[in-house]
Amino acid sequence: MARVLVVDDAAFMRKMVSDALTKGGHEVVGEAGNGTEAIARFQELKPEVMTLDITMPEKDGLAALKEIIELDPSAKVIMCSALGQESKVLESIKLGAKDFVVKPFQADRVLEAIGKALG
Amino acid sequence: MSQDDALIRLGQSTSEAIAGVLEMFAPGKITAGEVSVIPGDKHPMESVPMPAVATSVAYVDGVTGGNVFVMTLDGARNLAAAMMGMEQPEDPDAPELSELELSAVSEAMNQMMASAAIAISSVLGTEVEIGTPEPNFFTEQAAAIDAYAPTPHAVRANFTVCGEPCRLIQLVPNAFVVRMTRALDELGAEMAPPAEPAGQAGPAAVRGSVAGRPSLSGIPVRVWAELGRTRMPSAQVVGMPSGSVVELNQAADEPIDLYVNGTRFATGRLMVVDGTDWAVRIETIVSSSNTSHESQLEVASWPESW
Repeated sequence: MARVLVVDDAAFMRKMVSDALTKGGHEVVGEAGNGTEAIARFQELKPEVMTLDITMPEKDGLAALKEIIELDPSAKVIMCSALGQESKVLESIKLGAKDFVVKPFQADRVLEAIGKALG
Repeated sequence: MSQDDALIRLGQSTSEAIAGVLEMFAPGKITAGEVSVIPGDKHPMESVPMPAVATSVAYVDGVTGGNVFVMTLDGARNLAAAMMGMEQPEDPDAPELSELELSAVSEAMNQMMASAAIAISSVLGTEVEIGTPEPNFFTEQAAAIDAYAPTPHAVRANFTVCGEPCRLIQLVPNAFVVRMTRALDELGAEMAPPAEPAGQAGPAAVRGSVAGRPSLSGIPVRVWAELGRTRMPSAQVVGMPSGSVVELNQAADEPIDLYVNGTRFATGRLMVVDGTDWAVRIETIVSSSNTSHESQLEVASWPESW
């Protein structure tokens, strides 16, 4: 059971991820639709884990990840990306993301990543 | 290969990638249909039935061009319902999509085009990146035509999604089709699929061809070309002043070697593309039996940091 922040520019994806997390017994403490919002929500809500989409308008997931890790090097961030963004996935792991989930995903895979990140 | 052939191949590999993603969202409810080149004198949105839900995704890196996935209102609504695990849409008679339904359709397009970008990357040999999806709802033809600037080439791929006709329109600039044609030519006849009978140009026909399956074709491998090698005592290396010349074992008129993840897999000729970039034109593919002991020197390992 963890307090989770869900970040994705698509309202549909936020709903899917939030539903999966809620069913898995986690608490979704907030949502954000772009990188700038993600950083603000992260500072405000101090979630234990966050899921972060890569392709987003305004500020993308990689730029947001970088700033979040600078704010809190122990932040637990799980990247969500569509198939075909391997280089960005690698980059995000180098920047300090704990795990990544490839879309389209199964609810179990999201829960597994959250469980692993909480270690 | 003619430009039209290249456009059809582009359409087919994109169609296959898209159908694969759609199938995950709505299992058993997806059929990929014909791929065709849209004549240059027709605006690609001209024949689209109204009202239509259109989601566009542009390539932002690697290549330029646009992709518009056009669905009927019912098709979009049924797909959104399937993505949310529902048998039926919440409000099947609403005049427009709900915000959540529109978001689901956009997300589908995002994932479809990300998958298609892999197929294109594997043909072009460069990473292709996509922008964020832009959804539109059109009730009039004129608005749909105004929304997308025409390109010199366009390809149409038909689908049936949840019983409704849908189409992907690819807006292809000249530079893209030129690169695609050249890339397909360079991949060579050996890897190209046999000529397909007319009317059977469905995505299934390209299975196992250069476009490959996303699961395998998306794996990044390290590819490098080697001009030549030499051996010398370490003292000579550290004592080398700038300006000194190191002779390599390869003759200038000999083909150079191409390595994939440390394995010598082809020989080819060095060439220049776009007037600035080095490239290698493959002459022979090295068969797997004679990849080792070919050289007196070890295969160079790639620096870890790469």
